[in-house]
Amino acid sequence: MLTEKPADSVPIEDAGPLDSTRRTFLKWSAAVGGSAALVTTAAELGLPAFGSAAATTTAAATEPAYVWSACTVNCGSRCPLRLQVEDGTITRVLPDNTGTDKLGSQQVRACVRGRSIRHRVYNPDRLKKPMKRKSGTKRGEEQWETISWDQALDEIAAKMKQIKADYGNEAFYINYGTGTLGATMAKSWPPDQTPFARLLNTWGGYLDHYSDYSTTEITSAYPYFYGGWVDSNSFDDVKNSQLQVMFGNNPLETRMSGGGQLLVSQQTKRRHGVRTIIIDPRYSETAAVLGDEWVPIRPGTDAALVAALLYVMVHEGLHDQRFLDKYCVGFDEHTLPDGAPRHSSYHSYLEGKGSDGVAKTPDWAADLTGIPADRIRQLAREIAAAKPCAITQGWGPQRHANGENSARAIFLLACATGNVGVPGGGTGARESAQGLPFAAPFNTGITNPSNKIISVFSWLDAIDHGEQMNTFNAGVCEKSAPGVRDNKVPVDDQGNPTNVALEVPIKMVWQYAGNSVVNQTGDNNGSIAILQDESKCELIVVCDIQYTVSARYADYILPGTSAAEESDIHPGENAGPMAYGIVSTQAIEPLYECRPVYDICVDLAKRLGTEREFTGGKTREEWLRATIKETRAADPTLPDYDEWKQMGIYRKDLGPVVPLAEFRADPKANPLPTPSGKIEIYSNRLQAMSEKWEFGVFRPKLAGDQLVALPEYVETWEGPLETRDSEKFPLQVIGHHFKGRTHSTYGNVDWLKEAHHQTAWINTLDAQSRGIENGDQVFVYNDRGTVKLEARVTERVMPGVVSIPQGAWYDPQDSSEVTPPAEANPDHPVDIAGSVNTLTSLHPSALAKGNPSHTTSANVVKG
Amino acid sequence: MNLHDVPMVLFTVVTQMSVGTFIALGVIQLLARHRDLTTTERVISPVLYAVGPALVFGLAVSMLHMNDVTHVFNVIRHWDSSWLSREILFGVAFGAFGFGFALLEWFGAGSRALRQTIAIVTAVLGIGLVWSQAMVYYSLVTVPAWHTWAVPVQFFTTTVLLGVLAVGGAMMVTAQVRAKRAAADLADPSEAPSDVAAPPEQPAGSGGGLAVLVRSRIREINAPSTGAEWTLTARVLKGIAVVGSVAAITILVVYPLYLGQLGQGDAAAQTSAAVFSGTMFWLRLVLTGLTAVLLGFFVYRMAESTMPTRSRLLADLVLLCLLLAVVGELLGRALHYSAMTRVGM
Amino acid sequence: MPTQKSHETPAVGLTESDADYGFFFDQSQCTGCKACQVACIDKHDLPLGVMWRRVAEYSGGSWSQSGNTVMPNVFTYYTSMACNHCEDPICMKVCPTTAMSQRPDGTVYVENDKCVGCRYCEWACPYSAPQFNAETGHMTKCDLCFDYRSEGLEPACVAACPSRALDWGPIDELRAEHGDEDGIAPLPDPSITKPHLVIEPHRDAQQWDHATGHIANPEEI
Repeated sequence: MLTEKPADSVPIEDAGPLDSTRRTFLKWSAAVGGSAALVTTAAELGLPAFGSAAATTTAAATEPAYVWSACTVNCGSRCPLRLQVEDGTITRVLPDNTGTDKLGSQQVRACVRGRSIRHRVYNPDRLKKPMKRKSGTKRGEEQWETISWDQALDEIAAKMKQIKADYGNEAFYINYGTGTLGATMAKSWPPDQTPFARLLNTWGGYLDHYSDYSTTEITSAYPYFYGGWVDSNSFDDVKNSQLQVMFGNNPLETRMSGGGQLLVSQQTKRRHGVRTIIIDPRYSETAAVLGDEWVPIRPGTDAALVAALLYVMVHEGLHDQRFLDKYCVGFDEHTLPDGAPRHSSYHSYLEGKGSDGVAKTPDWAADLTGIPADRIRQLAREIAAAKPCAITQGWGPQRHANGENSARAIFLLACATGNVGVPGGGTGARESAQGLPFAAPFNTGITNPSNKIISVFSWLDAIDHGEQMNTFNAGVCEKSAPGVRDNKVPVDDQGNPTNVALEVPIKMVWQYAGNSVVNQTGDNNGSIAILQDESKCELIVVCDIQYTVSARYADYILPGTSAAEESDIHPGENAGPMAYGIVSTQAIEPLYECRPVYDICVDLAKRLGTEREFTGGKTREEWLRATIKETRAADPTLPDYDEWKQMGIYRKDLGPVVPLAEFRADPKANPLPTPSGKIEIYSNRLQAMSEKWEFGVFRPKLAGDQLVALPEYVETWEGPLETRDSEKFPLQVIGHHFKGRTHSTYGNVDWLKEAHHQTAWINTLDAQSRGIENGDQVFVYNDRGTVKLEARVTERVMPGVVSIPQGAWYDPQDSSEVTPPAEANPDHPVDIAGSVNTLTSLHPSALAKGNPSHTTSANVVKG
Repeated sequence: MNLHDVPMVLFTVVTQMSVGTFIALGVIQLLARHRDLTTTERVISPVLYAVGPALVFGLAVSMLHMNDVTHVFNVIRHWDSSWLSREILFGVAFGAFGFGFALLEWFGAGSRALRQTIAIVTAVLGIGLVWSQAMVYYSLVTVPAWHTWAVPVQFFTTTVLLGVLAVGGAMMVTAQVRAKRAAADLADPSEAPSDVAAPPEQPAGSGGGLAVLVRSRIREINAPSTGAEWTLTARVLKGIAVVGSVAAITILVVYPLYLGQLGQGDAAAQTSAAVFSGTMFWLRLVLTGLTAVLLGFFVYRMAESTMPTRSRLLADLVLLCLLLAVVGELLGRALHYSAMTRVGM
Repeated sequence: MPTQKSHETPAVGLTESDADYGFFFDQSQCTGCKACQVACIDKHDLPLGVMWRRVAEYSGGSWSQSGNTVMPNVFTYYTSMACNHCEDPICMKVCPTTAMSQRPDGTVYVENDKCVGCRYCEWACPYSAPQFNAETGHMTKCDLCFDYRSEGLEPACVAACPSRALDWGPIDELRAEHGDEDGIAPLPDPSITKPHLVIEPHRDAQQWDHATGHIANPEEI
């Protein structure tokens, strides 16, 4: 443990409270600014050169070492980084220099974020010492007391024991946090595989959550359609397609690694030139670079578009009736399951024979989606004629109040065109990729004895009124099997849904490598109001490397280590045909008093009396070796730990992925895990649940608060129609994934802030009518909050829609500092960082109880 | 207006004023060559000595936009290609020759022919300085707002306008000082002779021979004007009024032509053109227009009718014109720099 | 497609005299991610505000509305730009100190000992290649990673590009392979400096003299 730092670079006595951090920024800049400065600094540090070499062997102190490391954030990719280390300091971040440009063995070039990691590791916001909220101050007032590790862990353990005695283990909650999900010993997601989960599992368990903020709605939609999670064909398989159609799929911004889906989709397009249509409210980079054509669509109306497309296909006989008859349930009356009422098939819905009595004509959809009816007809014919057609969806369409249905509708389009399970086709889900069979003995060795599970988005409700929450009113579920982090709606012997309830509210929130306490959940101002009531949640602990927004609202802050300060194993992600994995080596000593989360949990386990169970008798390094050893048991061709550590990245070409090919080949022998074994366009279970589900219990029932058996279009609160007709908030606000951050990670890196400004995208027409010019400061506001940021007046977002890149670090300013516009809610501060979650709602989607992030209406005025 | 443009605004305007002043003096001397030499020299030499400090100030300010002054001597290395090198060479040469000429004038050293030759060389160097200054901007083909005939025209009109007005202003100040001195002499005649021929052995302070020489020269300069001197002054003023108002009108006429040209240009040119629209631009036009009117009508007429003993109002008016013109040119030059928009990215 | 040059490649042939090195930019693949820009900043320890490589977004077009439906006619493409190590480097021409110099291999660099920091080259260069470093008081710019090339490595930006949209090499070879397009808006008339640059244009690319769009991110470049 490093306890001494040179006063001129890192004054440890200044560590802690934020103003001193700011003051040290210039000194840090000097420390990382130039190699000359570094040599001086490092010499004074007396740090050893560290780690195994990525390219050359470690030599004299002045010779740089090249150490394999990785970027471990939640971007859906996984990049190796070669850190150039001189005298114990990272001086350069270099890309992968192995592999080729050929898919299957591709070089995994880190994106702009990974390449800026030096300024994330040496960031003025780095947490330095454990901190405790000063007694007598409120959460978020940012009054901190620097304390020792012993004091911090003693007090946290004591409080945990008290909570356990008062409420039991169900009162403990691990909050969603994906900042280091691409690691093994430092893993922050899935929550049940994190070090703190292992610790709680040795101590009686905790309340787990299902799904995640990326995919809540689609995750809950899957079981009622395909029976469970199914990907679409991998992007390299698009070479076999006649046409590629992407609904809100944006690999060039949401899978940015130069070895991941960005490269796979671009190289495939480069070589095979398959025509690509992008359906998205925003002219994304994918639309601009990969796409041949862009179809702008109003947010939240994908199910309406699909209905009209199918209306045209059915009327013109272009759909694949044979596929629907053989593999699906409920498209037509004759494939409806037993007990389904008459005219409840999708076909009846299209023809207007269902309860709404409206035919889903292109004209009907044009009004909703904003796409001209002729364009819809054209699109239907083109999609139907392309055999096969690769239809995929990103996760934007489903992150809505009606997102479960949008997700199912896009699945349905792939089914009705007969593209499922064939090369060049797809399931209408998101693209898949190959992977290595990584074992995770440390992460999965001890399971959670608690069998209840809530939605990832319900934790604030569970803090506020957990003891009143149950299946019908709040989506509290059972686990699909003991110890499995997956939900199922409990059912009785007849298969009817039954109710399971929470007994106690959440009393402790553990947030590790995540920013979901405030910033990444939704309704920042509303969240803070709940969290500031200490009679509700009694203990919030944040373990991170940066002083994040969430850390501001903690009771205790524990400074963790970055990937550069640890050795770890990083399974590859989303590289099309290539399966790979990275073994990293510690490049530098932990900064300040930072400690790896494993060590923190060991010391907590000691205090809770479960150290032996927690460590399993192994050191951190031994767990890493055990991980590779177990992985090699599944695939002996993989390198051993030491070999892998030396080579950094190991890769294997496994070819394209075609999910559901076996089902397609023989549906009887390979049934889906649905009640019917088939694809369920009409879901009996949803029908049954719709009769039990209660809305309006904890918050007002709003339009769209309903379950429906079919993947039909449901108009919701703050949906396109309500927004269009609103005088007060006539603009739909969505929050696209941003090139300059991964969610909120890297959000405080100066190089990235310089490269990618946080701006509110607003269409030229909407800007003109408000007197806004490109680069102007604007307020975006609704009743939940107000943000102030720079306007990007652009043709690249459709009229009526504003897109604010999600993940900026909420920075509330009192009205005395920044006066909100007259029309805005005067009770809220102005967030000058432009965090889109200052505007979003905590009202959950109907089925998933998920975050409806892109169902938000607001107005914009010049600042 | 950008703060970092300030050194360049001051540098170009002040050096152009210096060049204009020097040349104006030369022209006056040329036109007055049939007159009594002493009269002419008495009228114009004080002005000459004001040019030096102004030029030194201008050159000093120009150093502010050099960000590493320790490397400053490198700036002349590229004289065969860079107009910036040439500008500096001309600037230094103009300063050196001008200073040399002033020294000779002051001490009456050197032959008249030598002094005239040096004066002509200095004037040519001054024109070279203004020309190379204009070329510094004109030669940037990547800046449409600068790569235009308007830039040399504007730089030379600045030179002329401020040059003649500086001469006029300095002349009138000198005339006022001399008038005061004359009034004082009248009140206390016993002092008068000693002023004209100050004995060298009357040092008011230490400083040795040179200081004594300088002090006696100052007394000489400040000696009361003669009638002939005043006549010459008045005639020169009339000329200044004509030349100055023509220069000011030229400035006003150039703008619409220049902006019309920019308006026809590419996106960068259009962006530049937009700079010439705000308060600063209108203020610049009003000040310059006012200068033209004051010079053309009031100064010209008053120069004809004013008596030397009652020249205070005329002096104030000339100085006001100088002030208006200087502020107008500073604003105009600031706009010149603000208009910098380059093609490309 | 850039060839793979590993960290161990011996130093051969990457700083050859008269090679007249330049960049190839595949605009059709650029996503505006700016990995090149940040890799350059990391490589050269550039302070904030100094960007030897920058990426401009060029956008334009219009929307037509009919009732509640809309139809776009819009375009966007990116231009990643460092120094083009031009045949007629205007920066060298205007530099009063001769600090702006050219290596035998055709690449343009700043001789630090001479530069006076007058920023005249910054005014002149239509690609914003010379960038002023306030910390040193000197101009700085891309030298095509001379030190890396001396070690047989590729320039940092080229090795960084996730989309493989950047390459470099002797300009004759680049032109033979990719053609000679170098005048796509927002770039200027290439005849001004004759850049050692070859662009594979985006499908919506507009010629410099027939451009209808605008730089959408002026504050970022």
